[in-house]
Amino acid sequence: MEESLKNCQEELTALKKEYDEFVYIVSHDIKSPMRAISNITTWIEEDLENGLSEDITTNFGLLKNRVNRLENMMNGLLELSRVDRMDLEFYEVNIPKIIGNCIDLFNSDPKIEFVVKANLIKENVVTLGAKLQKVVLNLIDNAVRFNDKVNKKVSITILESETDYIIEITDNGPGIPEEVAHKIYSIFYTVNSKDVVDTTGAGLAISCKIIKLVGGKIKYTEGIENGSIFTLNWPKNIILKS
Amino acid sequence: MNQKLVNILLVEDDEVDVMNVKRAFSKNNIKNPLFVAGNGIEALEMLENQIIPLPKIIILDINMPKMNGIEFLKVMRENEKLKNISVFVMTTSNEDSDKINAYNLNVAGYILKPLSFEKFLTSVATLKNFWQLCEM
Repeated sequence: MEESLKNCQEELTALKKEYDEFVYIVSHDIKSPMRAISNITTWIEEDLENGLSEDITTNFGLLKNRVNRLENMMNGLLELSRVDRMDLEFYEVNIPKIIGNCIDLFNSDPKIEFVVKANLIKENVVTLGAKLQKVVLNLIDNAVRFNDKVNKKVSITILESETDYIIEITDNGPGIPEEVAHKIYSIFYTVNSKDVVDTTGAGLAISCKIIKLVGGKIKYTEGIENGSIFTLNWPKNIILKS
Repeated sequence: MNQKLVNILLVEDDEVDVMNVKRAFSKNNIKNPLFVAGNGIEALEMLENQIIPLPKIIILDINMPKMNGIEFLKVMRENEKLKNISVFVMTTSNEDSDKINAYNLNVAGYILKPLSFEKFLTSVATLKNFWQLCEM
């Protein structure tokens, strides 16, 4: 019995080491040739300078866009793999302030209207602040990015139960078709082709992993007039498994 | 004004990255003499045996075969003649551990190699301002 437990532990240690090496390879060794492709493409384009036909210019643009996408995907994959190992500091945050900080990033666009309603008894909590901010920012970013209306509206309601903070983010965008709603948390999945909205499709997968880590919940429901409603339950008391 | 341009040593093993720096220099009209070493050992050899004039600035890659950037920095900082050279780390590594290791060895800057050449140009343009201060 003891022997097999020891074997399991050794195997786990070996697997962790292999995993760390894999992540390192993805982040360094694969990135260099990818950067080379991107750079050389730019140089060829520059060197040819004049006399490029429209087709060639378009293809250069496509080539650079796809390499860029590849880099974003790799960064997404890396971030996903590091969710339970990075930014694990607990500190005191003010929940409405965290939401406000996220909104500030979009406030320069007059075509986006944000409405925030908070009804909290205890606004401050000691939590994994960076993680909470990451999830909230991702949900707000999605509400804006995939919104097809000229005048975008994002409503955020913050409530609390005995155990959780409940953050509900509603938008007036196109919503998510029912038949694909279960796929939205998979990495790199996007409802539309990536050519329609240039996005990596990693945000919800990363958020979902964070929420799982803290023991929270996320739920998608269709809005009354289309649009999406994401409801996030963020536990007030987080216990991380070592 | 008759400025003396400081020598710059680039320690980098990837041929495309060397071309990248050379191209960024020429685009930013940086005329400083640029010397290239393919790894830490080669760089130390060039510096210790005075194969090249002593540079004031070193641009250093971290991930290199034989002797990596951090190992090179450690040796360099212990060498009386070399320890005062300004070093800019230029790497793909966004790992906190690599950044901390580099800053512990007293580097002047940490440049993340961006995917796009245009972004790299901007970084190099910023460095140019610093180098000009070294030349005054």
